[in-house]
Amino acid sequence: MSGVSSNFLRIISKKFQTSRVSTNLLERRNITLLNYTRNCSTKPPQPKPQKGFVTWKSVATTGILGGGFLAFMLYLKKEKEFAQVQERQRMLGKAAIGGYFELVDSSGKTRTSQDFHGNWLLIYFGFTHCPDICPDELEKMAAVVDNLDKSEDTPKVQPIFISVDPNRDTPEIVGKYCSEFSPRLLGLTGTEQQVAKACKAYRVYFSAGPKDKDSDYIVDHTIIMYLVDPDGEFVDYYGQTRNSEEIADSIKINMLKYGQLHKKSWF
Amino acid sequence: MSFPTREERSVCWGARDKYWECLDKNGEKEAVTGGPCAEFRKIYEKSCSAQWVKHFDRKRSYLQFKHKIETEGYEINKNSLR
Repeated sequence: MSGVSSNFLRIISKKFQTSRVSTNLLERRNITLLNYTRNCSTKPPQPKPQKGFVTWKSVATTGILGGGFLAFMLYLKKEKEFAQVQERQRMLGKAAIGGYFELVDSSGKTRTSQDFHGNWLLIYFGFTHCPDICPDELEKMAAVVDNLDKSEDTPKVQPIFISVDPNRDTPEIVGKYCSEFSPRLLGLTGTEQQVAKACKAYRVYFSAGPKDKDSDYIVDHTIIMYLVDPDGEFVDYYGQTRNSEEIADSIKINMLKYGQLHKKSWF
Repeated sequence: MSFPTREERSVCWGARDKYWECLDKNGEKEAVTGGPCAEFRKIYEKSCSAQWVKHFDRKRSYLQFKHKIETEGYEINKNSLR
């Protein structure tokens, strides 16, 4: 009897054991399921990456093509503007003012108009015995030059005084006279023929009046300042009615225009 | 023959301006001997060269003419229109 009961007990315990194993299995499966669902929320199954419409390559290509096109358009625009400026100048024509002159400076040295190529010139014709107009105009000219010297981005202007009274105005006297107005002012004179030639080139009228008992006289002459560009070409003129600021502004504008026409770059 | 220096010029212009001021004040066209501006005229003539005096005298009459035209207008000379 004891053998049977012990057998029975063994079977029971065995059954119990198997049931425990099965519950264990079940638990384990649950855990894997749970793990699976957790994974699912963070890492979805990834599809193979597809090529989009905008890529770095297409952006670069568009940039290069667009940039090139824009540069070309800008170049065309510049060309057109340059042609317009040239055309305007051609239509206005060139005044038959200015040209070659040969005069003498205060140290007795001969100076020709070619010596001044590469410089902007502001030329005034007058005489040292001039009662009021010449001194006023020369003061104005000195003020214009001072004004231009102060602005750094504009080229220097050489102010020149040319005497229309060569008989009285020797090189030395002209030099002394000019230094009264500005150390920058260059005085030129010469023989009667030299002065007459320079005046003719600039269409300057001059006529000495009758001499009085002291053999003093007044020379009537054109009161105009001439602006000459670095190529030695006449650009503009300024009469008595223009003040120093107006003249300086006009000179700056003329310099800008000249710069536009003589720029040696693409843009 | 040297030119009048900057100083000589300003002395001359100063004397001229004083003389002109006197003429304006007294309503005179030019200085009369023994008149109020005779003394100014003398200083003016001493300070400026004869040529300059001549020049400034002419300039004054021109400026007065210009002023008259600008403020009072001008009359048309009927004889010149015919």
